[in-house]
Amino acid sequence: MSKVLEARVVRKTFEEGSQRVEVLRGVSLDVTRGEIVSLEGPSGSGKTTLLSIMGCILTPSAGEVHIGGQRISGNDKALRDARRKSIGFVFQQFNLFPALSARENILYALGIKGHKGAKAEIEADRVIDAVGLTDRRHFLPRDLSGGQKQRVAIARALAGSPEVILADEPTANLDSATGASILDLFRDLARSENKGLIIVTHDPKVRRVADRVAGIADGLILPRAHAA
Amino acid sequence: MVSLARKNLLHDRIRFAITLAGVAFAVTLVLVQVGLFLGLLGKATVTIENSSADIWIVAKNTPNVDFGNPFPETVFLRARGVPGVERADNAIVQFVNIQLPSGATENALVYGISDPAYWNLPWKVEAGRAEDLNRGYNLMMDRSAVLRFGGFDVGDYRELGGRRFRIIGRSAEAESFTTTPIVFMDFGNAQSLLEQLSGQTTYVLVKVEKGFDPKEVAARLRPMFPFNDVHTRDEWAAASRGYWIESTGLGMSMGVTVFLGILVGVVIVAQTLYTSAVEHIREFGTVKAIGGSNWDIYKILGEQALIAAVCGFALGAGASYAVRPAMASLHLTVLLTPQFSGVVFVGTLAMCLAAALFSFRRVALIDPALVFRG
Repeated sequence: MSKVLEARVVRKTFEEGSQRVEVLRGVSLDVTRGEIVSLEGPSGSGKTTLLSIMGCILTPSAGEVHIGGQRISGNDKALRDARRKSIGFVFQQFNLFPALSARENILYALGIKGHKGAKAEIEADRVIDAVGLTDRRHFLPRDLSGGQKQRVAIARALAGSPEVILADEPTANLDSATGASILDLFRDLARSENKGLIIVTHDPKVRRVADRVAGIADGLILPRAHAA
Repeated sequence: MVSLARKNLLHDRIRFAITLAGVAFAVTLVLVQVGLFLGLLGKATVTIENSSADIWIVAKNTPNVDFGNPFPETVFLRARGVPGVERADNAIVQFVNIQLPSGATENALVYGISDPAYWNLPWKVEAGRAEDLNRGYNLMMDRSAVLRFGGFDVGDYRELGGRRFRIIGRSAEAESFTTTPIVFMDFGNAQSLLEQLSGQTTYVLVKVEKGFDPKEVAARLRPMFPFNDVHTRDEWAAASRGYWIESTGLGMSMGVTVFLGILVGVVIVAQTLYTSAVEHIREFGTVKAIGGSNWDIYKILGEQALIAAVCGFALGAGASYAVRPAMASLHLTVLLTPQFSGVVFVGTLAMCLAAALFSFRRVALIDPALVFRG
């Protein structure tokens, strides 16, 4: 299977005052189409930094990121283009626009990604149907439950057909039943939409839907990564 | 594309209302204050603008039309001989004491005109005929005199400069910058009111023949009258306006008012937009995380500023136009022309966009990685 997203020997160092903190120390991770990778590790292990670098939000201090086999250079425009075209994000805090309805949240994201007009409307309706929120599409986020908000966020991430979806603690703010339904949705969508999916999590239940589990600690991928 | 700017404005209704109130207040302040100023300046030149004189010959260094200085009355005869001059007549503008029925003495601004109907002074007559002014000791008083002189009727008598005059008519719109009521009468009668005006005039009104350029005729007249100034209508109006603007500090006062209005607008709009930007930082971080640029966020802030400008201007302009009848009942003219309103509208857009710039720097520094923070 071809790798849709790959981090190769990535290092990341932050400067805090006079101190240099190496958060990632040569990490490699990849995901293929239709595959779900669960990235697990304790707080401060570097998993969110790795997600940010693989999501082209941060640039690595050393190492490379490849999307669809193409190396992503470190300039702002290249990173932004990669985020627009190839990556969908799902956040722990949902990060929906509170003034926009569910459908408008998706339409706005599609607009940022360069999709406009009737095609964007059709795409918005398609992804909102895919997450099962057709009857809630005109609701504002404040009128949706936590699970429904996360479904909107997933639909927004899917909109425009990115190659890979990166999810940061997507079940952390949800109760067990809702979290389980969101994970089922991820599994179904990864298969039906043929997307690579990396889920950063503390939640052991993610393993139920993951094809592969990668452990990270102290800025290094643990050697005993294993399939669920 | 969905307008996040518009939706966010409507979502934060209270903040939007405060922004609109700030813009509307600034617009109203500028429109009404400058409108009053323009209305007042209009009074400073209303006789110049409405008379049919194309050129005014005045005593050297006469500052404005209300403060006429005497010079020999024979000047007009030489002016009549200049090619391009259709007609030239003497005119007197002078402050004269008037005795009121109450026993009080006030000042009237007397316009003594040789042929009032020809020179279109007065230009708006509500009662009586201008042609009758030179048939005895007659005068025509402007309706605005009621404020200072009390009520009067056609047929009443008033004493000016110790001489009894009959009011034979009532004019309108003839109000002076100093609020001293204007009284029209025959040139000879005006001349006889003050001893120092014997054999003197304060102005020569010149009408230019059709086909001649007043500027060229004025240029021909100037060398002939080295002890006078020769102004075209526009030059004389500009000089009269300039005198009041500079000598009274009114220009500076208006400048300060306009500056304060703009300052209030900028501060309120900048403050509300900045607060809004700070409160929406996570949303702007999300915009960046999904591939948006700083420019996408600037567009949101810019659109919000423009919406505030357009709606705030509409409210402020509406209030300014609405207040005009009330001001008119106080004999205050708020002059609002489409051109002036257009300038204020463009200024409002610029003001609001300038206010939005304060937020640009803040949002440019947003780190999209903040979306991962819990």
